[in-house]
Parts: sequence; C-alpha cells; structure tokens
Amino acid sequence: MLFWRRAGARLDVLRSARPAARTDDPAARTRRELADVFGQRKLFQKAVPGLMHAFIFWGFLVLLPTIFEAMLAAIDRDWTLPYLGHAAWFAFLQDLFATLVIVGVFTAFLIRKVQRPDRFRGSHMEEADLILLLILGIVSTLLLWNATRIALGIADHPTAAPVADALSSLFAGGTGTEVLERVFVWAHLLLVFGFLTYLPKSKHLHIITAAPNVYLAKNQPRGYLEPLRIDLASADADVHLGAAVATDLSRKEVLDLFSCTECGRCQEVCPAWNTGKALSPKLLIMDLRDQVAAEAPLIASAAGTVELQPLVPNAVEDQVVWDCVTCGACVRECPVDIEHVDTIVDLRRNLVMAESRFPREAEAMLRGVEQQENPWGQPASARTEWTSGLDGIRILEPGDPPPEYLFWVGCAGAFDERAKQTTRSIARLLAAAGVDFAILGARERCTGDPARRMGHEYLFQMLAEANVETLSGAGVTTIVASCAHCFNTLANEYPDYGGSYEVIHHTELLSRLQRDGLLPAKRPAGGMVTYHDACYLGRHNGRYDAPRDVLAGAVRATREMERNRERSFCCGAGGARMWMEEGGDARINDTRFAEAEATGADTVATACPYCFVMLDDAAKAAGSATRVADVATLLAESTLD
Amino acid sequence: MGDAFVYAEVSAEGPKPVALELLAHARGFGMPVAAVALGPGATDSARALGEHGAGTVYASDDPVFADHPDRPAAHVLAGLVADHAPDVVLFAQTYDSRDVAGRLQARTGSTLMANATAVSDPRHARAEIFGGTQVVEVELDGPSPTIVLLRPKSIAAERGGGDAEVVEVDADVPDDVRGARVVERHEEQASGPRLEDAKVVIAGGRGLGGPDAFALLDELAASIDGAAVGASRAAVDAGWVPYSYQIGQTGKTVKPEVYVAAGISGALQHAVGMKGARRIVAINKDPDAPILAMADLGVVGDLFQLVPAITEEIRRRRGS
Amino acid sequence: MDVVVCTKYVPTETTLGPDHLVVRSGVDGMLDPGDEYGLELALQLTERHGGEVAVVSMGPGEAGTAIQRALAMGAQRGIHVVDPALRGADALVTSRVLAAAIGRAPFDLVVAGVESTDGYTGTVPVTVAELLGLPSVTAIRSLEPSDGGARIERMTEGGFDVYETPLPVVVTVTAGAVEPRYPSLKGIMQAKQKPIERASLADLGIDDVTTTQRVTSVSDAPAKQGGEVVQGDEAVPRIVDLLAEAKVI
Repeated sequence: MLFWRRAGARLDVLRSARPAARTDDPAARTRRELADVFGQRKLFQKAVPGLMHAFIFWGFLVLLPTIFEAMLAAIDRDWTLPYLGHAAWFAFLQDLFATLVIVGVFTAFLIRKVQRPDRFRGSHMEEADLILLLILGIVSTLLLWNATRIALGIADHPTAAPVADALSSLFAGGTGTEVLERVFVWAHLLLVFGFLTYLPKSKHLHIITAAPNVYLAKNQPRGYLEPLRIDLASADADVHLGAAVATDLSRKEVLDLFSCTECGRCQEVCPAWNTGKALSPKLLIMDLRDQVAAEAPLIASAAGTVELQPLVPNAVEDQVVWDCVTCGACVRECPVDIEHVDTIVDLRRNLVMAESRFPREAEAMLRGVEQQENPWGQPASARTEWTSGLDGIRILEPGDPPPEYLFWVGCAGAFDERAKQTTRSIARLLAAAGVDFAILGARERCTGDPARRMGHEYLFQMLAEANVETLSGAGVTTIVASCAHCFNTLANEYPDYGGSYEVIHHTELLSRLQRDGLLPAKRPAGGMVTYHDACYLGRHNGRYDAPRDVLAGAVRATREMERNRERSFCCGAGGARMWMEEGGDARINDTRFAEAEATGADTVATACPYCFVMLDDAAKAAGSATRVADVATLLAESTLD
Repeated sequence: MGDAFVYAEVSAEGPKPVALELLAHARGFGMPVAAVALGPGATDSARALGEHGAGTVYASDDPVFADHPDRPAAHVLAGLVADHAPDVVLFAQTYDSRDVAGRLQARTGSTLMANATAVSDPRHARAEIFGGTQVVEVELDGPSPTIVLLRPKSIAAERGGGDAEVVEVDADVPDDVRGARVVERHEEQASGPRLEDAKVVIAGGRGLGGPDAFALLDELAASIDGAAVGASRAAVDAGWVPYSYQIGQTGKTVKPEVYVAAGISGALQHAVGMKGARRIVAINKDPDAPILAMADLGVVGDLFQLVPAITEEIRRRRGS
Repeated sequence: MDVVVCTKYVPTETTLGPDHLVVRSGVDGMLDPGDEYGLELALQLTERHGGEVAVVSMGPGEAGTAIQRALAMGAQRGIHVVDPALRGADALVTSRVLAAAIGRAPFDLVVAGVESTDGYTGTVPVTVAELLGLPSVTAIRSLEPSDGGARIERMTEGGFDVYETPLPVVVTVTAGAVEPRYPSLKGIMQAKQKPIERASLADLGIDDVTTTQRVTSVSDAPAKQGGEVVQGDEAVPRIVDLLAEAKVI
C-alpha cells in the first residue's frame, strides 16, 4: 500500500509531464528491449559489472514466482504454486539463480568497497549498500527457507536444489527447524515487502522504470534531436520554450530521471567531467531527479497553479548546462537508456529562448547565424572564396538542373582557413573522379546545428525551413556533406522540416569512389596515421568504417587510439562549445590530442572540420610535430598530382 | 572667391597637430584661410597657426569653450560664419570637432562630408570606403559654407605662412546655449589607450608560448605613443592575458593605423577583428601562417628576438 | 525617464548601387550593432528609474526589422519614418527628419550610437541636438540622473571626463560601455504586440529633402604595396620604417 502511495507521487509527475511521441516502430523498440533489458547488452559493456548485474537481474526475474510461493506457504505450510511449486526444474532454477544473485551481490560489494571505481563519486553509496544487503537478505532467506523445508522433508525435489540441499544439513529437522522454517518464510516476505516500500523513494525504482525507459528510447540515430515547433504568430504567453521547471519536462525526460541507478558509467566517459569541469551527466540527472522528487507532492496536488523552482540554477548550475559538448558518450554507456543530451538541450532551450541567459561569448556566433546565416558572421558572398584557383566547380543557380550530388560545403569549410583546405581537397577529388557535383555557393546557409545545440530552437527552425526550401526548390536528391554536424542535421533532422534527401558524408563518397577504382593511389600519404572518430559521424550515426577504408587505401600505416569508434573521446567543439570559453583543469582538445600523439602516429586524421581545428589547435599548443589533416586531404595527397 | 575657415582645436600646449594638417589641406584652395581657435591657449596658438598657413586667426581664450566643449564653440563659429561667409569650413574627424561641425550644420543648413582624405576645393572632396579598398569622389552642393571633416594623418602639415592677424572674438555665449558642463577630468595614465582607440595595436598569440612573453609586447608598446597591447583568442583561452585583450570574432574589433601581430596564425576568427587596420605587420615563425598573406609586411622569424630588437630600434631612432 | 533611441537599419553587407548610393532595399539588413549600446543603456536606465523607451528609425520598409529587434530587446514602442522621397537622404535631411519625429512627444533623453557602421559620419545626433535646441554629450560610457539633470561620463583619449547637464540631453554611447542584451524569443514574441507608428514626410511637416552631396565616381583604391614577406636582417629596420611611415613613432 505504502508502495503504491509513494510510487503514486512519482506517477503523478509523469502524468503532469509533457507527452513525448515515442511509440513509432514498435518492432525496433521491442528488439531493443529484448537486447538491452533482457539481454543486459549495455551492462555488458563492462564485463564483470555486467555479469554481476545480469546475475541479479535474471535472478530477480526467475525468482519472481517465489514471492508468491512464499506468500502461499506463509499462510499454510503446505500450500504452494500450482505446477511450478512442484516442478523439479523450477526448484533447480531457484537454487541456481539464488546462488548467482548471492555471487552477484558479493561481486558488487567487491567492486564498490575494494576496487572503488571513480564513477561512483557523487553517488549515494549507503543507499546502494542497503539495497544490496536487502537483496542478499531476500535471497538468503529464500535459500535458507528452502533448506529448512528440505531438512523437514517437505520439499518435493530436494536433490534438484543442490545448494539448498547442502544447507539443509545445518538443520536438525526437529521442532527447532519447524520454527526456523516459519521464521525464514516470514523473514523473506518481510524483506520483500520492506524492499517494495523502500523502492519508490530510492534509485532502485529503476527496476520498474528501466524497462519502459528502454522501450521509449529514441529509435532515430542518437544525433537526432526532437523538434520543438515554434510559431511566433501564436501570441500565446504560455508557449513552451524548453524546460524551465519540473512540469516542462517531457514524460521520457521524467522517466529518465527516475531510472537512474547512479552507476556512474556516464560520468566515467564524459569529456567535461574528465577535464575537471563541473558537469557530470550522472550528477546532473541525480540533481534534477532530486528536485523533481521533492516537488512531486506539489505537482500532484496543485496541478498547474503551483510555483515551482526553476531547474537551473536550483537543481543544476548554469555552467553545468553549458559544459556539455553533446558528444553522447553518456547516452551510449547508460544501461537504462537515459538521454542526458536531450535533457541538457531542453534546459538550454529555456535558458536561451526564454531568458537569454547564456555565455556571452557565444552571442557573436548566434548573431552571425541570425544575421549573416553563418557562425563566423562573414558575408554570404565569401562562401565561394575557397574555389579560387580551382576549375570547374559548378555553382548551382536557381533554375539550373540539379547535380547528381549536391556538395554541402558547410560554414566551417567555407570560412575557416584550415577547413578550406579540406573543402578544396574534396572538390579536387570529386572532380578527378568525374563526379557530377555542384555547390550552392552563397545560397548555402548554416544548417542551424550550432544554434540548435545551444538551445536556440527557433533560429534553427528558421534556417531549416529556409534551407529545405532552397534544396527542395533546386530539386536536390543527394547531398554529400563534409562536416559531421552538417551531415547529422541534414540527414536526421531536416526530414522533420520537409526535407528528405539521401545524405552521405564525404568519407563515404570518397570510399565508394576509391572502391570503384576512380581514385587510384599513386603514393602513400601521411606516414603512420591514427584516425579520430568524430562524435557526430561516429557515435551519433554509427559511421566508423568509411573513413578507415579510405585511409587504408591511401596512407602507409594506421594505428587505432584506445578510445576509438563508439568509445571515441570528443574533440571538445560540439554542443556549440566551439564558440564558448573553456574552464576546468585541462582542455578537452589537448587531452584528446595527447592520446592521439601517444600512438606514435605522424598524422592525426579527422573527418570533421571542428575536430580538425580543435586538434590542430591542440597540436600547436603542445608544440607538436604531429600533423593534423582531414581524411580527404590525405587521400588527395595520395591520389592527385 | 571667398575664403576658407579651419576649425583649429587648441590647448595650452598649442594647436593640435591635426589643426596644422587642416591648414595644409586648405592651402590647396588658393584662397585666404582663416583659423578659428576657441578656448584656453587660442591666442598663443595663433603664431603656429599663422606659420602653417592661416592668414587670420579668430581667437578667444575664454574658458567657457573648455568647460562646455561643443555648444559655445558652435554658437560662436556660426556667428563668424554668418558674418564672414566663408566658402568652406574644414574640421578634423575627431570626436570634439565633429560635435561642433554637426551643430554648425544645423545652423547653416549646408552639406557636411565626413571621413574625407582630401579636398581639392570647397565643392569637391575624396574619401575611402569599404575598409580602404574603394575611393569615392564627392561633389558638395547646397548653400555655402560646405563643411568637410578630414581624417587625421591624411596630409602632412606644412610650414610656409607668415604672421597671422589675430582677431579677438567676443565669447558672449548666452547661458541657455552653453550645454553640458565638464565637472571632472580623469587622465588614466598607466593603462594607455583603449584597444579600440589605440593608433597602434600590438597583439600576441599562441606563438608567445606563455604569459611572460607579453612583457616584450608591453615594452614595445611603451616605446610607441598611443600603442595598446591585445591578444588573439588562443592566448586568452590559454589564460595568459585577460579577456579584455581579446581581438577577433569573440573579442574586440580594432582599426588602428598599425597592427602588429606577433605569434598569431591569423585564422579568420582573429582576422575579422583586425583586418580593418590600415597597416598590418605580422611576425610568425611559420611561413604558411595565413596572417603572413594578409599582412602588408610579413616577417618570418622568431618573435622573441624580433620584438625586443624592434623596441631597441625605435628607441634608438627616437633618441637620435 | 522617457528615452528616445535613434536606430539605423544597415545592410548586412554594404554595397553601392549603380547610382553610387548604398543599397538598402532588397538586401539583408539589421539593426546597426553600434546602436545596440545606446539601446541597452536606455533600457537599463528605464529599468532602474522607470519610464519608456521609444525607438525612432528612418529607412525603407525593411527598416521595420531593426525596430522589431529593438522592441524585442525591450523598447516599448517604435516610430518608423518611411517615405520614397527619403531615398539617398544625407546627414542633414536625416537630422531634420529625426528631430521632427522626436520632437512630437515629450522626452527626457535622446540616445544614439557614436556613428553608423555603414557610413561612419557620426554627426547626426549633434545636429539633431542643435535643431532641438538641446545640450549633447557624445561618446559616453555611463549616465545617471541626478538633481533634475544627469551626470555623464564621457570617454576621452586619455581617460574620461565627467559632465553635468540639464535634461533633456542628447547622448551617443560608445561601444563596450554596456553589454547589449540578446533578445530572448519571448521578447521577440512580445515585440509583435508593441506599437510601431509609421510616419511620412507629410506627417512630420517636412517638404524639403534635397540631398546636397553626390558621389561622382567610385574606383578601386591603389593596391596596397602589401603582401611582402621578409626575413633575416632586414626585418627589424623594415618594420620600424613602416611604423615611421605610418607616423606612429
């Protein structure tokens, strides 16, 4: 009863939260549910803790019926579940999984008390200890109860439960044991019910929330953000502009908060946390959860009329929200599919659009995007400066027939001196391979990615709508993007605005051309090369192989960094942080560059202009001789004259 | 043929250099030139003004012109203009002169051209626009006198006049025309000019390697009047200098006479903050640094040697 | 304190048309960034001392977006003077128009930027002051009402001077004096509800708008003797020569 009352408060928060559209493609969702929840897939990203948790989780599932068994037997010693209560195989499973759970609990204690991984910093360890002890108690009492029943001779298949059988020799079998049998079954039930009442107030609520949370996770690639349609014409004072207070959060976001187990796997991989910034994805979720939980009674009772505290800065400080590079490493690690990045962006949306409260230095970028339609604030006419000296770059004018490939140059590739090198390499390679491509030139606008990641959803919306009009109006069907951020936005986010195109990254196209023999290597380039996976190409979109294939056919040798592919460590520019000042103990780009340099590589290859600039800056800061270059440039050096 | 007026800014130290330049501009008209000098130091400045081409100097040393910087001067000047009907009045493109010129325009209803770099006669002047990449010739119509504001350092002052006739001007300025009053003056000696206003900006970048090297730039700045030290984003991000030093996209935009970039690569982010400088000198050890391509004078070399050497050389030339 | 802020709509990229006039219509434009400092100062003053901020702008139809932005930042109302006869208007005409528009309602303070970023003339505010018979202080960095007047800090070459002036007064605000706020989306939405009065020359009672300046030719400036790269021994003398040539030493 207590359980329902307490859980009810949390349920009310869910009910009051904004609805989230997360029911598309049930098949994919079910597949994920099976793999991640039943298969414990993400937990196994760490082998031993994964096994530990799997034992406990599967044990929990298998042992569920035993609660009912115990309830029945508590009333009458001879009552039990029909069929299951008499099945030898079930007795065996009980025994096996109860033992595995114990092994799991001890392993958990070993990890937490002896190994003491840093990811638990900030987590509520006492709460976890209590839960583990409760689980141990529940399972031990179950085994001991079974043991006493065997000793009393009332168990159906004593030998089917070897551990309980072995324990049964502790008990003489007389009246003492009969009493103990009652003691154990009641103790077991008391522990179970005590556990249930404790559940809603603890992080162990995840056993109820995790499964739906996984089901409701995004089906789209992780780099996708859900749109927030803003209609300026609606003079609605109450228009939703992001998450300011607890009731602004969507149901998925609230469920996220209640699913967190404080495991800290997200914290462990966060580039901000790892370089001494205030942001820890785990602490962010915990802090938001604590505020929402504290306000739950208010929300439930007053529904809409109550004054809630703003989440920023009460639950989390402004700086924590801005420290995020939106790399998604946290989301990737989370065993219960919490989508930290989405929540952070939602908080940013309110800060930027409703309160205009954001790091001042980012204002120049927003103004540039707003007024000149690029973060550099450069005139649109300068977008074609990189073409000087190159022949045959077709600029698509209104009314021209569309090319096979629309080469989306992006703002970095047009305005940043270093990135222009990449643009030129790509153009030269495409021309050499005889590809039919064209650029939009001055008609290109920022895709809006930096504005969106900063939380300025309205600015993004305007750009998306305008760009779709240009692209669709020009009859474009296939786009090749040279920037990982442009790629992600064009491919995953523009369909929401009516723009569905086939979007590929430049490394994919180059890889195809290479495979088709259109770009034969003439010489090896770059020496020994290590490839840095861009977050928005790799982890957010699962594209790891094309750049590697290109390099394999162009450079002398390659070597991987330890943190590669989906475990790649961000360059530090994402989440619009390229335009913000960085604090903390170390800089994210310096940290990543040091890792790259430690491979002994001569060249660090990148596939995104932001990664390129950040790592190149780091190389210069370190006074390093290691070169940083885009995959395309290396291919060009290998194949072109 | 009428005459030309020159509004000469004066102080206890004499005429401001730009006033003498204005006289040089007016010399080309081939008409009598009268200087109007209002404020403390005016009569003492008459000699220098005469030597540089003024035939007449209308002067008043009344402190009202110093205490109330624009309205009284405009009032008196307007009176002189009404009495003597010059064809043109030349002003310097400075904050103080500009205020007087603007008020004069309201009284005379005549045309005003700013940022001119040359004026061939009272009805024709020239200016540069778009960051100095385009030159426009402008014809000045409307009633006399035309008002032209000339940029400092657009011409060299020339001696070659004689004695000027000094005409004492009655500074009878009614109370309601006095306007705002100066009550305090604060000279900030130590900090030097603000970056945005400095004639010379010396900026350091990542190539400096650390905060200590900025002392070299400070030394160089100290050897040049009106020089300020700035930095690229890289140096600020590295924590070597405060954010107020930052020049570039997310910092200040400066348009000095000379911009000296030491150890700065010249990425666009920085370039947008300084490419309006009239002259750019860049020192970098990397021959491929983009800034070398945009500099008027690029130097491939070690700034740790070059910067002190430049300071030395400036002091040496000064000394001699 | 009721404040009127003068704002200019400037093209995002300044270009000259075939008639040598700055192209203002049919191109992207924005509120002159220099004006934002004055606007911010005005907003802060009224937030501290009460009163209204009205924005005045003279420009083609598109100039309304500059006023919208000012309203989004927090100004209460706008006045947009638009008239085809004003095309190519010079500083004097602009001053007369602004003075007429401003003079129609009572005010305590007129604020403008130091100079526009597309023209750099910088005299319109003081001409307006003279036409309205008001005192002025340019290049200010702070203003506080005091004793029925105002106490103002004005930037000078070597530091700053403090002025006292009766109200009303016309001031121009230097870049960097205050940090202009970034309009929030809420501000943008609220701006749509705020009144913008459109006025023509007839409404202001002005009939003579003859421009008295004409650009007769535009040509490329002589190519800079730039792009030279030197090394070694000649570096230092060359640099110092350049400094001397620029007349900074």
